[in-house]
Amino acid sequence: MSAPGEPTGPGEVPVPGQTFWPPQPRRTSPRIVLVDTATFRQARQLVPIAVPALAGIGLGGGRWTVVALVVAITLVSLATAALAWWRFSYLDGPAAVVVTRGLVSRSTRTVPNDRIRGIEIEAPPMHRLLGLVRVRIDAAAGGSSSAGRGAGKDEELLIDGVPRAEGERLRTAVLTKRSRVPVPTADDVDGAPARPDPEPEEEFARFDNRWLLYAPLVGGYLAVPVAAVGALSRIVDEVPDRLLPDVDGPALDPSVVAVLAVVVALVVLAAGAVIGAAVVNWRFRLVRRGGSLIAVRGLLTRRHTELEIDRIRGVAVADGAGMRLVGAARLNGLVTGLGDAQRRGQLLPLGPRAQAEALSRRLVDDPGPLTPHPASARRRRIARAMAAGLLVTVAGAVLTVTSGWWPLLVTGVVLTVLGVPLGLGRYASLGHATGRRSFAVRVGWLVRERAVLERRAVVGWEVKQSWAQRRAGLASVVACVGAGRGGYIAMDMAADDVAAFAVAASEPWAEQLLPVPREPDRAMR
Amino acid sequence: MTVAPAPVREPAWSLPRTAIGLWVTESLIGVVITALVVGALLIWVPADLGGPVPFLRWAVPVVAVLDALIAVFVRPWLKHRVYRWEVTQDAVYTRTGWLSQTWTLVPVSRIQTVDVTRGFLQQLFGLATVAVFTASSQGTVRIWHLEHGVAQRVADDLAARAERTRDQAT
Repeated sequence: MSAPGEPTGPGEVPVPGQTFWPPQPRRTSPRIVLVDTATFRQARQLVPIAVPALAGIGLGGGRWTVVALVVAITLVSLATAALAWWRFSYLDGPAAVVVTRGLVSRSTRTVPNDRIRGIEIEAPPMHRLLGLVRVRIDAAAGGSSSAGRGAGKDEELLIDGVPRAEGERLRTAVLTKRSRVPVPTADDVDGAPARPDPEPEEEFARFDNRWLLYAPLVGGYLAVPVAAVGALSRIVDEVPDRLLPDVDGPALDPSVVAVLAVVVALVVLAAGAVIGAAVVNWRFRLVRRGGSLIAVRGLLTRRHTELEIDRIRGVAVADGAGMRLVGAARLNGLVTGLGDAQRRGQLLPLGPRAQAEALSRRLVDDPGPLTPHPASARRRRIARAMAAGLLVTVAGAVLTVTSGWWPLLVTGVVLTVLGVPLGLGRYASLGHATGRRSFAVRVGWLVRERAVLERRAVVGWEVKQSWAQRRAGLASVVACVGAGRGGYIAMDMAADDVAAFAVAASEPWAEQLLPVPREPDRAMR
Repeated sequence: MTVAPAPVREPAWSLPRTAIGLWVTESLIGVVITALVVGALLIWVPADLGGPVPFLRWAVPVVAVLDALIAVFVRPWLKHRVYRWEVTQDAVYTRTGWLSQTWTLVPVSRIQTVDVTRGFLQQLFGLATVAVFTASSQGTVRIWHLEHGVAQRVADDLAARAERTRDQAT
């Protein structure tokens, strides 16, 4: 079970009260060398050097050259993978997690436990075969560099290739130490595969496979088959012509061919989206364990993401135009200091709207129904939605007069007319609400999103008013938050309501915005 | 300037008048660059090219001249009326823009870092910008073009107070 060099084997019971001091660095499982050899994880970095070198030497095209090359590359991959494994160690000490690595130059990264914001355990297919997992430790960016720039990818420790039980132990150990519970030693050193976490689980959501049928109506999943078809057509291009089957069948009516092509494309799109959604979301489960929300999902790669409930500042319910047709929605958690928030914050990747709403109410207070925005906002939305069409119409009119080419004019007129329902739809989405402890804003039509945020989440307000908005008595307000996208906008609300909304949706400091003339506090200069 | 009242309160303090000089200088540099581009267009694009070229040959210079006049003789003064700032007991508050205006309010308790930057032109005019960062990528306040000494004092004061009142809610 335990890797060689590990200080505590299974069954080695620690003496209570006695800590292992100093803790010994641990190694990942040697089985990771196999995975890395097969995936050329380290050897891949040598490609930029190897290709010009090989081109310089020049190779004959014989069969034996190919075999020799394959063997050589595999050996190089094995060697580099073994070296990387040999030079890698990690240590989850009482105050920090330390990762040491590097072939030639050693690098040591130390992340203090109180900076750790979450742990993700994922098991790609090869890892699963060998009973390994990959542990990602998410850390808050250090002091000054975090300002307004968010936690980037480099603020992440990657411990690749530990046995499943060790991954589980690491997760518990790090999370327990971080919350400053005084030394639960038995948990810390227990390498037993049984879950060392005695806290009860509460299930928040479980994926129903019927929800996969929503996938063809969600933009993100439609991209999967498009990308796949793109890749496939590139492969077909590479295949020599003589290998391609001769597809000249009986001559068909072009219109029949067109209809067939559209039908086939639609079927491929829908099936691809469903498959893509299944691969990512297979057996999704969201449970609460202690102070954390744990999301597990994936068909080939199992992902295990942990979010601290204390850091959840709000949720975003996304229901685009397609999803609204079938009453589907997606729920994202807005968590402070979460890298790669779009993927990791997902609390319900795809499901019925009612379920998403219920889950959102469970996590954040419901601020009540949204207040629609004034009628001038509707005029503004329609005008803006028609603007692009009008521009095309004008260009089309000029072309029709000068060269008699009319299709652009027709397109422009159609686009302009379509702008009306689009503008109405966008207006219908607009809304805001304030509750006792939370507030909500909604915007968008094709991609509609309602963000529900806690009042304490707001770290600033930005009020914007363009010249046109000023004439229409409107203004847009952005609630700046240190989570999710960083800012959530209440677009085109009545200018007179702005200050009151800001005060109701954040803490007392927002009263500074109230347009009542008040004496500025000069003492603080 | 406009009839409709502003949606939120106006920050109390205006910028030093040297900021107008800075904006005029920035506009002049922009005008010189535009003039070079328009000049190149007039010299190197042949007039008999047909299409929209003859029209553009007089429309572009006219637009450029109008823009230059506004940028040099109107916009700096308009901006000086719009740009305002204020530091109160618990927040930093600014207004920026000219046709489109933006008010930004950030509470001292949520400030993460405070920067003072002095650009090349700003140094010529003895001015500096105070940038106040929060945990949000969108919640950044910039107080443009303060006198350098004032900027430094504001930044020090904000940083010290943020250190004392910071809360962990973000």
